[in-house]
Amino acid sequence: MPEMMKLGIVLMSVSLVAAVALGLVNGQTAPVIAVQKEMARQAAMTAIASSLSPGDSLAFDSIEVEGLENPYAGVNEALEVVRVSAPPDPEALGYLFLAYGKGYSSTIQTMVAVDLEGVVTGSIILYQGETPGLGANVAQPDRLIGRLAGLTGGECLLKKDGGTIDAMTGCTITSRAVVGSVADGLESMRGAGLFGPAPVGGAS
Amino acid sequence: MSLAKDLVNGIFRENPIFRLTLGMCPFLAVTTSVRNALGMGAAAMFVLVCSNFLVSLLRNAIPSKVRIPCYIVIIATFVTLVDMVMNAYLPDLHRALGIFIPLIVVNCIILGRAEGFANRNPVLSSVADGIGMGIGFTLAMVVLASIRELLGNGTWLDINILGEAYTNQPLLIAILAPGAFILLGFILGFFNLMENRKRGRR
Repeated sequence: MPEMMKLGIVLMSVSLVAAVALGLVNGQTAPVIAVQKEMARQAAMTAIASSLSPGDSLAFDSIEVEGLENPYAGVNEALEVVRVSAPPDPEALGYLFLAYGKGYSSTIQTMVAVDLEGVVTGSIILYQGETPGLGANVAQPDRLIGRLAGLTGGECLLKKDGGTIDAMTGCTITSRAVVGSVADGLESMRGAGLFGPAPVGGAS
Repeated sequence: MSLAKDLVNGIFRENPIFRLTLGMCPFLAVTTSVRNALGMGAAAMFVLVCSNFLVSLLRNAIPSKVRIPCYIVIIATFVTLVDMVMNAYLPDLHRALGIFIPLIVVNCIILGRAEGFANRNPVLSSVADGIGMGIGFTLAMVVLASIRELLGNGTWLDINILGEAYTNQPLLIAILAPGAFILLGFILGFFNLMENRKRGRR
């Protein structure tokens, strides 16, 4: 019994020291991590919203849209839509939204800028944990993610699935996750009436 | 054994990858680019040195019956510290390494050195052993990552070496999992060949 006690005490003290050390460091780093995440988000918003209206300083307001279906059930609670405007002018210039798609080894988070007609003007990957050197290349602006501009929701399809976008070699699942999640988000926003009636004689 | 010998031991004679064949999982998974290899090597080396130091310091205080749980708690603590600090101050690298940082916990090089070296050697030589093993692990990763990145992506440390034309149509298998196994086989074969040559000459 005494030996048992001794073993228990050793284990307990090792764990105690470890827990205290982790708690202290977490207290230091957690705020820094939160700030960093927020900054990355702001930077991404500014970067891709500039495709809606280059050169203006823009304002971002999160909005609640009535009748907006969440196409990302099971991945995220809601489709988050941000309204973009250039401050003195209250008119909306377009919207930003976050698309979530299940990729090969992670849920890929894409931020998309879209104009009032529902045409994508810019997109950026906020988070992905795909295979380094392969699927992870999806985030490079000159690869897949940069080729969505100018498309509407219905046109967001890989060549393999009858669309016009080249999938990245060796990462069809990743490519499909990004393209599909963007298309779902756009369709859902169109369904909620954000883009007005389909443009007459438009390409879509 | 002198400190220098402990240090060099992990780099050549007992290189964890090429000679002991330990820690294959992170080795094969992370070596898709040289940048990842360096980041992973640095993180693993930090954990290795810290855990070797602490295990060696506590080697007389920890009863041998509960030594493995104690080592695991020590290692897991350092890994979590690295994870949090990297996430806060080196977010890009943290994003690139992703899941492989928490996986350092189960990297058998670290537990292997705690059990096989640090718990029966004094503090200084344990730290030297940790540094040596860390350098050996990093070197091995950089070697394989260089080959894979160059063949599979046409770049080295994100610098384009083989030109635009190659980057558009690279030898993709080198960067995929099978390529890692094939190239590792060649490297291990080369090391064994050298070893046999050396023995034969003697």
